Amino acid sequence: MTPSDPLIRLRNVYTAYEGADRPTLTDISLSIQKGEFVVIGGPNGAGKTTLLETINGMLAITHGTAVVCGHDVRGDGVHVRCRVGYLLQNFAFDPLTPFTVEEVILMGRYGTIGLFRKPGEEDYMAVERAIRLLGIEEIKSRPIGQLSGGQQQKVLLAQNLARNPEILLLDEPFSNLDMFARDDINKLLTRLVDDGITVLIVSHAFDALPERPVRVVVMQDGKIILNRGSSPGEVELVVRGAGRGVSHA
Amino acid sequence: MLNYFIQNNIVSNAVEAMLFASIACAVLSVIITQVQISSIGFTMAHAAFAGATAGIFFSINPTLCAIIAGVSVAFLLGPLSDKARISPDTALGLLFGFCMAVAIFFIAYMQTLGRGFSATGLLFGNVISLYREEIYLLAFICIVAIVFIVVIYKEMTAIIFHKKIAESVGIRVRPVYYVMLFIIALTVALCLPIIGGLLLYVWLVTPAAIALQFCTRLSSMFIVAPAVAAVVSISGAVIGLEYALPVAPLTAVLFSLVFIVAVIISPKRRIATQKS
Repeated sequence: MTPSDPLIRLRNVYTAYEGADRPTLTDISLSIQKGEFVVIGGPNGAGKTTLLETINGMLAITHGTAVVCGHDVRGDGVHVRCRVGYLLQNFAFDPLTPFTVEEVILMGRYGTIGLFRKPGEEDYMAVERAIRLLGIEEIKSRPIGQLSGGQQQKVLLAQNLARNPEILLLDEPFSNLDMFARDDINKLLTRLVDDGITVLIVSHAFDALPERPVRVVVMQDGKIILNRGSSPGEVELVVRGAGRGVSHA
Repeated sequence: MLNYFIQNNIVSNAVEAMLFASIACAVLSVIITQVQISSIGFTMAHAAFAGATAGIFFSINPTLCAIIAGVSVAFLLGPLSDKARISPDTALGLLFGFCMAVAIFFIAYMQTLGRGFSATGLLFGNVISLYREEIYLLAFICIVAIVFIVVIYKEMTAIIFHKKIAESVGIRVRPVYYVMLFIIALTVALCLPIIGGLLLYVWLVTPAAIALQFCTRLSSMFIVAPAVAAVVSISGAVIGLEYALPVAPLTAVLFSLVFIVAVIISPKRRIATQKS
């Protein structure tokens, strides 16, 4: 893989959930370079989460090619996932969940550590670094189930950062956060993109996006209907405009 | 092994068998309750029961048939839900019903033929007439269950935490999951003759439920659950044999009583009450 190659390259990709008789994504083609900040918008059920899970190889690609971080997603999904962070949407942990914050963040390293091996010093240092980045030092020994939704969100973001990802896929990362936490995450995302990490974010909270040029990808009915650059202030207009354009047509 | 401490061979064998079976089941009970697959464990126990009754009917090794039936349920579940377009829960309900029907058919038919006694033993367990080989097999599965947890502890903890997150961090969830189901099926099949198909579920859920009342960390659950299960099972075996009571049902009742006491004295519940 040369530096000019796109970090994510999808060509005519069709994706289907297990047992489904129809593809959820149809004919998706998308190229994303290292260090880009991509906002994925569109109505509910448009296929935004499915696109993220296709990129990290969690869903079966029924047709087309997908190369992420130089690995073919179809045959090498596990290696892709070791290099791609993915923050899921809508989670809530039971108060009796028997894991502390530190343990949860360390789990982010498990794929890279490999089977039959124990975490080493490097892994624990990565966990400490992620805890510092998110500013969650004071809650690191607490059970995750006893934290607020926003704190749990931060812990899972730290879990993803602990494995030093090349790409971060964030599905509604601002949904549980108050405005102060949103500002913190914004600053962090700006810093990560400046450091060369590619960020793809599915969000409806367009006012919470970092102040930097972004690429907007709008989806509808499992297809990409718009893919263009934008300033953060324009994102909402661009997404709404794309949606109207299709519904009018 | 316990002959030095317990003079009576029958009691000694029964205690050893209950000890190994309870430790194996209790270790797996932590996984079963935390991964929330207790319906799978329940259906596997009944599939093993059905397999064993079929084995007795056809004069094939019942333990082998129980293993095959238990493993088959685990591997049938996914394809059945996909092909029939039903939820895994409904698929388990169907498989459970089918297994019970098969077991009851063979038991009833063997009674008609005058061969019902040995199958009835599989319902409620029998710790008295055990061969040494059966106890060695139980010791083996006990070691397998412990080694399994020790070797893939980190993968298992991630799966217990959140299956999808475990997959997203690069863990090969499916192979680990299937190995886990295989070990559960093997344990269920080997414990079936001493605990019984109808009671096995108590051993596969209650020890972890008791441990959860006191433990805040998963690692401590893997120690507390087998310890509690061992004490309760040995007590059940000793009391049952001393007073000529059915051992497995008595132990199952003891497990339930210990669970009730654990809920009452649980420090977690005290904290929850104080908060509310």
